[in-house]
Amino acid sequence: MEKSVYYISAASTISHQPTFGNAGFSKSICALEADSSLITPDFKAFIDAGLLRRMSKILRMSVACAKDCLAQSHLEQPDAIIVGTGLGCLHDTEKFLNTSLTVEGLLPPTSFIQSTHNTMAGQISLSISNHGYNMTHTQNTLSFEHALLDAMMLLDDGEASILVGAADEYIEILTEIAGELNVRPARQLTSAASFFIVSNAPESDTVACVKDCWPIAFPESKTSAINDFLQRNELNAAEVDYVLFASLLPEQSGELVDLFTSAGMSGERCIDYLAFSGIYPTAAAFGMHYAADLMRTDRSIRNILIVNALRSENLGLTLIQSVEA
Amino acid sequence: MGVRITGIGVVSAIGLTVEENLRALKEGKSGIGKMAFLKENSELLVGEAKISNEDLKAALHIGTRYVSRTSLLGLLAAREAWGKNRLSKSLRTGIISATSVGGMDRSEHFYKDYLAKENPDFRLLKTHDSGSTTERIAAELGIKDYVNTLSTACSSGANAIMLGARLLLQNRLDRVLVGGSDALASFTIDGFRSLMIYDDQWCRPFDESRSGLNLGEGAGFLLLENEKSIEFSGNATIAYLSGWANAADAYHQTASSPEGKGATLAIAQALKKSGLNTSGITYVNAHGTGTKNNDLSESVALKNVFADQVPAFSSTKAFTGHTLAAAGAIEAVFSVLSIQNNLIYPNLNFKNSIEETGLEPVTTLQTDREVRAVLSNSFGFGGNNSSLVFSDRA
Amino acid sequence: MDTLKEDLKKQIIEQLNLEDITPADIADDSLLFNDEGLGLDSIDALELIVLLEKYHGIQVTKPEEGKEAFKSVNTMAEYIRKRKS
Repeated sequence: MEKSVYYISAASTISHQPTFGNAGFSKSICALEADSSLITPDFKAFIDAGLLRRMSKILRMSVACAKDCLAQSHLEQPDAIIVGTGLGCLHDTEKFLNTSLTVEGLLPPTSFIQSTHNTMAGQISLSISNHGYNMTHTQNTLSFEHALLDAMMLLDDGEASILVGAADEYIEILTEIAGELNVRPARQLTSAASFFIVSNAPESDTVACVKDCWPIAFPESKTSAINDFLQRNELNAAEVDYVLFASLLPEQSGELVDLFTSAGMSGERCIDYLAFSGIYPTAAAFGMHYAADLMRTDRSIRNILIVNALRSENLGLTLIQSVEA
Repeated sequence: MGVRITGIGVVSAIGLTVEENLRALKEGKSGIGKMAFLKENSELLVGEAKISNEDLKAALHIGTRYVSRTSLLGLLAAREAWGKNRLSKSLRTGIISATSVGGMDRSEHFYKDYLAKENPDFRLLKTHDSGSTTERIAAELGIKDYVNTLSTACSSGANAIMLGARLLLQNRLDRVLVGGSDALASFTIDGFRSLMIYDDQWCRPFDESRSGLNLGEGAGFLLLENEKSIEFSGNATIAYLSGWANAADAYHQTASSPEGKGATLAIAQALKKSGLNTSGITYVNAHGTGTKNNDLSESVALKNVFADQVPAFSSTKAFTGHTLAAAGAIEAVFSVLSIQNNLIYPNLNFKNSIEETGLEPVTTLQTDREVRAVLSNSFGFGGNNSSLVFSDRA
Repeated sequence: MDTLKEDLKKQIIEQLNLEDITPADIADDSLLFNDEGLGLDSIDALELIVLLEKYHGIQVTKPEEGKEAFKSVNTMAEYIRKRKS
């Protein structure tokens, strides 16, 4: 089981960076400015107009990324579709909640239908007529890691190619809530989607694979959890080329960086990926695409560790390794 | 290759414990009635768990107001399934819960005050996200090796059970509490009413006159253990989860396909996984929501798989109401009880078969058949179809 | 020009979020639920019931009732006039 390799044979992200349809984007990304916004493709190129008219941002982004992944990997049908989402379809949820509290009489049903967390996975299956396993994980900031682990388990069980991804959606009230709860995030709260095809065999242009992924609910010590994770993958900290990390507050970032610099890693190789993606619960999926893209542009990179401590109570660890040409 | 089930817990409109639920099932006593807890003075028929939040908190020794009813119901059922088991460093223990509304009951409360600008309590929103409802249950039980939440609308509970079984078989965990919980919320009631599939009368699954569902609430949990865990716990096995499958219908956002494509795939693949023939299924606990569309599509799927030998079947939703993400878990507990006690439950409120299929569910309690294997169906929005097979042996 | 029909077309476009369609694109007799027409589905049918209540004060309690009425803009206008007379 431990010997399985999970190749990343396609990756697609819609974010604040020029990630979509742009392999090698990691060379040209820069930290978010305060007025930065999402860079979105023309959705009509990916989604049937009849479906598109009802879709909120999170649905559009998810279906477009999913279809882009299939096109990249020349795959008609994945064996399964797995999505992670921290807060689900917030736009439609708030819309229906608002209607239900303010409108007397009949309520329009569309936003209710599209408020369920599995709308992304469902719409993807509908868009490509896929009848395989269809799953949605929602475990706050670890939702993507749980989805990825599910995909890895299916590959271990003999499936060949899994479409796995994550999406979250910003609505304005989130900023107000953060303020009222005295959370002062270092970066802007935003939306994004990332999808991948993970497969049991590499394509000719596959450069990266997922070596391991471990969502940890309540880590007693982040340091020892990271050390255990490296150890079970037969690595020491010095062998990690880059650490891509996320934490909500600056002081927590300092702790994570110290952990690796004290093991001899250069501070420049510890990268806060939220600076590029902005903050949303499943930003670790952006981290994974970023890691794979770094490996594409620099073939000397062997190991990238993604440390997701966006929510301080939880910890997500994902190890991306380069694939030998 | 079955997975051992060693504990069960359930709370629903027909009882707060396994024992109470079993008694109501035997007596044919529905828990659906006029709303009493969510709102006063409503004529709407719902399957409420007959306990207030205050009493739930007292029973569970929880003092804070920042806890959702979904977490409270879930914790009640999870505690019952967990029983007197002890945590151990040598055993990897996980929990997977399913929910569709999460902490929506608290969020509604907040949002009402927010819209009215009446000093809304923002801290209530800390219970909103589905993951936090599961974390709450996990923290109360001290479970931390794997904590996850699935949300696939009305099939969520079945999917949590399936994922737990896979984690054990891949040796990633030694034991896992699996199930689901959903509290009744105005959000979902209004939602199903907006779809015009909320019946103002008692729901009538599989009846020609059916015209919609009654929502319910509750939670169900099962404890799954591997051999190593059994050695430690000494628990007796009460039944096995022997087959499972999830398939997408990919037909429409809400409606099931008329030919029951996704449902047929789920049932057939779950059966295949269990190694049983169609004749090996003694009883089918159907999804049977009482909507025109689901019951017809499910009937067609049953005929697709079982041809003219459709086993004894019934929907227990006329007892509990449709409990959304908890349904698959509550009905899994009912399926285990069916095997344990050789019971086939009646499909309440049935009079006439659906014209197109002519299928007739069981309408009175059957006690004279040895129940060897039960198929339990859970179908959800977005065409998410899941089937589980429970059996009396591995 | 029949103003009820023109109003209906605008209301349909708004209620169903038909982004790229103008009232001129919808013929009075084009079949709303046919792929040759607007290609609407069962969710749209429910939205049209909401439309009838919201703009015309007409309540439809069973979705099946709407089926005949929602065939085209012509039948919708006819249904509204009948219910109001």
